[in-house]
Amino acid sequence: MGLLENRFNDNVIVEKLDKLLSWGRSTSPWFFQFGTACCAIEMMAAAASRHDLMRIGMIPRSSPRQADVMIVAGTVTMKMALRVKKLYEQMADPKYVVAMGSCATSGGPYWQHGYHVLKGVDIVIPVDVYVPGCPPRPEALIEGLLKLQEQILDERPLTRKMA
Amino acid sequence: MSTDQDKLITELVEKGLTGDMEPINSIEDRVLRSKAKAALAKAKRAAKSQETAEPKKKKSEEKSSDDLPSSVNLNEKIVYMINEKFPGSLANENTETHIQLKSDQWFEIATWLKSEPSLSFDSLQCQTGIDVGDNTLEARYNFHSMKHNHYTEIRIAVPRKEATIPSVEQIWRIADWFERETYDMLGIEFSGHRDLRRILLPDDWEGWPLRKDYLVQETYHGIVVPKMKEGWE
Repeated sequence: MGLLENRFNDNVIVEKLDKLLSWGRSTSPWFFQFGTACCAIEMMAAAASRHDLMRIGMIPRSSPRQADVMIVAGTVTMKMALRVKKLYEQMADPKYVVAMGSCATSGGPYWQHGYHVLKGVDIVIPVDVYVPGCPPRPEALIEGLLKLQEQILDERPLTRKMA
Repeated sequence: MSTDQDKLITELVEKGLTGDMEPINSIEDRVLRSKAKAALAKAKRAAKSQETAEPKKKKSEEKSSDDLPSSVNLNEKIVYMINEKFPGSLANENTETHIQLKSDQWFEIATWLKSEPSLSFDSLQCQTGIDVGDNTLEARYNFHSMKHNHYTEIRIAVPRKEATIPSVEQIWRIADWFERETYDMLGIEFSGHRDLRRILLPDDWEGWPLRKDYLVQETYHGIVVPKMKEGWE
């Protein structure tokens, strides 16, 4: 204790590497733009200048290889479900999923009679944050993304997980 | 002002038609002169086409729909012509809203509908299908003629077990995707279609969703299809 105690001035940040990593991850979660239906319009609005997702460090990427967060914006049909799964598997770890809108969370208006609609994207891939709404306003999406950032910030990537 | 001008032009055209070009050429205003000349050319053309059209008209009247009074509507006329040209291809004589045909001569009739000058249905506006019950599927075609600006609807009913209708994809190219959708949703086979695949659903989907007796398959590639979320009701 005596070796390091009170050694550093105010201009040196003292922090755990664990926390530093999760802080870095949480402040720049680049998202994979994945517009499958009308929610995509709200996602675009959220990314455009008025709401500006860049403020919270989010940049839209068109390739799963460059993205950390997949925002599933819209209805996922059975035909699309296999592609969603494949694209999720192509993303590099660590990866997160935001289910945007009623369709992606539960099937939405198709939840009972839509024979061709996946009843929630969580059937094929693990979802971290659900954003309800039909479609959710950009503010709601931003709220969901801030929740995701909180969640990432709480992670301890280097600490051994208790079984 | 303009009505005066019109009067003047019509007078000049009448003179011009008799061969007297002097008054037209002596107009000082260039705009008015060119207007008058254009009107004269139009009048000459109209007179010419009237002369040539009249004998033709008589000929076509001799060929078909000769005894029909002028008050018959288009569907009645088409039914009359089909009955003469393709006997036995009408499913019934009902002409109120549509024409009901049998499927066997449909390709020939479709070709004729497009090529017959007095009909010339050059535009297939919509092609769709419907399950009408009683184990019957029906394909419906909406036609429009750009030339005559008239419309008609053709319906072809087929039994569910052997739902095959000749394709018109090579007559109206738009029918390509229309027929693929009808095939996708109702399972009506369009014989002669060059690329009859499902268009909306995945290729390996089972069943025809818009048939009344459709039952959703239980799984698709391991994904459970008709999942009810627990605790929703």
